[in-house]
Amino acid sequence: MLFPTAVPDDLSLPAVDVDRTFGAEFVDEAKRYERFFYVDWILAQIALLATLWLYARRGVAFTRESSAGPIGTGMLLGMLGLGIAWLVGIPFRVAAHWWSRRHDQTDLSYLDWIVQDWTILGAEFLSICLALLIVMGLARWLGERWWLPGAAVFVAIAALFNFVAPYLDFTTKPLDDKVLLADAARYEDELGLASIPIRVEEVSKDTDQANAYAFGLGPSRRVVFWDTMLEEPFSEGEQRVVLAHELAHHSQNHLPEGIGWFALFAVPGAWILMRATRRRGGMGSPEAVPLTLLVVVVFQLVTTPLANVISRRMEAEADWKALQVTRDPAALEQLMVGFSETGLGDPDPPDLAQLMLGTHPALADRVAMARAWSFRDSP
Amino acid sequence: MAMAAVVEQRPIRLVVRDAELLRSRLTVFFRLLLAIPLFVWVALRGIAALVVAFVLWLAVLIEGTTPQSLHDFVAGYLRYATQVSAYVFLAADPYPWFRCQAEYPVDLEIDPPVRQSRWTGFFRLVLALPALLLALALGGGLMNGSSGQSWSASSGGGDENAVWYAFSSGGVAAVAAFLAWFAILARGTEPRGLRDLTAFALNYAAQAGGYLLLLTPVYPTSDPKRAEPYSDLPEHPVRIVVTDDLERPRLTVLFRLLLAIPHFVWLLLWSVAAFFAAVAAWFAALATGRVPLALHRFLAAYDRYGTHLFAYVYVVGRRFPGFTGRAGSYGVDLEIDPPERQNRWTVLFRVFLAIPALLLASALGGVALVVGVLGWWYALARGRMPEGLRNLGASCLRYSAQSYAYLFLLTARYPFAAPVLERRAEPDPSPLALPGDAF
Repeated sequence: MLFPTAVPDDLSLPAVDVDRTFGAEFVDEAKRYERFFYVDWILAQIALLATLWLYARRGVAFTRESSAGPIGTGMLLGMLGLGIAWLVGIPFRVAAHWWSRRHDQTDLSYLDWIVQDWTILGAEFLSICLALLIVMGLARWLGERWWLPGAAVFVAIAALFNFVAPYLDFTTKPLDDKVLLADAARYEDELGLASIPIRVEEVSKDTDQANAYAFGLGPSRRVVFWDTMLEEPFSEGEQRVVLAHELAHHSQNHLPEGIGWFALFAVPGAWILMRATRRRGGMGSPEAVPLTLLVVVVFQLVTTPLANVISRRMEAEADWKALQVTRDPAALEQLMVGFSETGLGDPDPPDLAQLMLGTHPALADRVAMARAWSFRDSP
Repeated sequence: MAMAAVVEQRPIRLVVRDAELLRSRLTVFFRLLLAIPLFVWVALRGIAALVVAFVLWLAVLIEGTTPQSLHDFVAGYLRYATQVSAYVFLAADPYPWFRCQAEYPVDLEIDPPVRQSRWTGFFRLVLALPALLLALALGGGLMNGSSGQSWSASSGGGDENAVWYAFSSGGVAAVAAFLAWFAILARGTEPRGLRDLTAFALNYAAQAGGYLLLLTPVYPTSDPKRAEPYSDLPEHPVRIVVTDDLERPRLTVLFRLLLAIPHFVWLLLWSVAAFFAAVAAWFAALATGRVPLALHRFLAAYDRYGTHLFAYVYVVGRRFPGFTGRAGSYGVDLEIDPPERQNRWTVLFRVFLAIPALLLASALGGVALVVGVLGWWYALARGRMPEGLRNLGASCLRYSAQSYAYLFLLTARYPFAAPVLERRAEPDPSPLALPGDAF
């Protein structure tokens, strides 16, 4: 139910000459640019795991810094664990930001970046407190049986957040491009969708990179364009492809499917957590929290390849549907070239990088799909 | 003028010789206007003192000490500025005229010059910045330029916030003087708590000024214990109890504000409930003359929780607080007496009666914020909180807690502004012990 796709099973992607399509010089530059991030990411993960391993062993000592009850103390330990991980990650994030600035991929100053980083950390603190409140509360109430209702509660929260998030969005404004809006109405009709609001987020002050995304569930569904996507070098045809791609996420129910997949991961994840923390007194005990952080991060890391496979499959399906409604493979191909240029993205990343970081098909594969559609379905 | 209380021996000490607290209503009414010539004279003397202080600075760099005559000149200025400040802020009544008055009700004693480290002398301006920041928040003297800022804000014309700017730039002492002005016009005496608070602010400003102008190498202390020789707390149903140590693990200090985020969310939710509980308590107290025990407990827990939380945020407390406001659960705690019978008239007008206290609590909140910022940096560097700064923060929190307790009908006693933290074992039979002594 969660895995079917509109992409034909027998579709074979033609080989793409990356150097010819994207430009040999540019591909070299993009590979150099991305390679830095791969190394940075690997080092950051090693540092994170080592830190959390140490914290799992020693973090219990921080219980004496709390006058709160078990759940409050658990929250403190959770936040401190995140805080330590954040501190350890600073050099890697600074390096990544420096690299992005050096390649003109962001205009964000270091000061703004620090403020943004702190804000994100604050949101993470709040999230972990909510999560621990639920898990520890259930564990203290139900004992070791907490994991099943616990997973259910997290799935419910994920669904609720997905539904509510568009209503809490005050950073976007409605799209006022009448031509694109008319196209949207046509694509919605073809995809069998009710009218979906199209909005624009202003990011051009901070970055030249282009993006768009779909979010929301049911009546809260939205499509959001970064304003950089609506400017040069992206043509109207490319913008239409992006629009159709995002609408296809809604028509193919990718967001509810994503929640379904999350549920499939959450149940075993909660069970593993219950088992792993048993020797520390279970999830009802604050002493288990430092170990919990390590288990969660390891579980995420281990399941990342599978999660990326699912994500790539959904993105490929959205591309395919976009081709079906726009009937413009040249625009999709040109769009991928444009993405690569604006984001300095490696069109054909190494397999390991794609396995761990590839939430979307490689740009070369997306170009290949456009060409495959031309061969197969064009009139 | 019977009592002459001398502050514990430090190189710069405040002496308070004004037990009766009597004030002339006429001079108080025109106090700011009467002080205009004094402002001019203090400013002129201040310029001269700054020039001499520069010479002192050179002397410290070369000789490691300061010449007695120049030291006396700057010390004379500091004494005079303190006397004028005391007059302006209503902490003293006699006109200080244009030279230092011997036996002035609020005066300074300044030790002779001593050897000073050339290094701390060289960086004196930088080293003095934290102290000057705190002195600005306390606003205790003409030394720190608060009066000039107040005047410029007030003279802006048409600015609705001018009064508030004046308060904020004049600090706690300006708010205390503003409130004392009304009290004195009504009663002819200054409320003891307000005078003690102003005197404390003057003392700190004098210490900070003396340190900046190289009269002493000893860093100013903000410990409210320095106010104990001339001040004491009366019996009050809401008391702060500090049992915390001064150690502060750097990691919890670094993330202090972020760690408090879940507490802020909880406080917000609790505040909504507390608002309705306070309204219910108000109706109940109007009807029966007493707040029902359940509501009293709920509001007391809320008041206590707020104190725990802000003690943590301002690094006054060490440990992560609980979410329930349980008595005795935190190192900076509140003791709140059970409900008492209350006068229905004061209950009826409680919101209006609480406004002066809330105004002062707001100004002291600014001091607590400065304490938090300075304490955060210090604790991050040294892994501990300076005792004086911690105690000043606790004192500000105590006043705030008493103000909210008064607003929420937990007590009929008005908050007491004196900065001291603990009552003396032997109560002093002075007017401050009288029941109903406002501020």
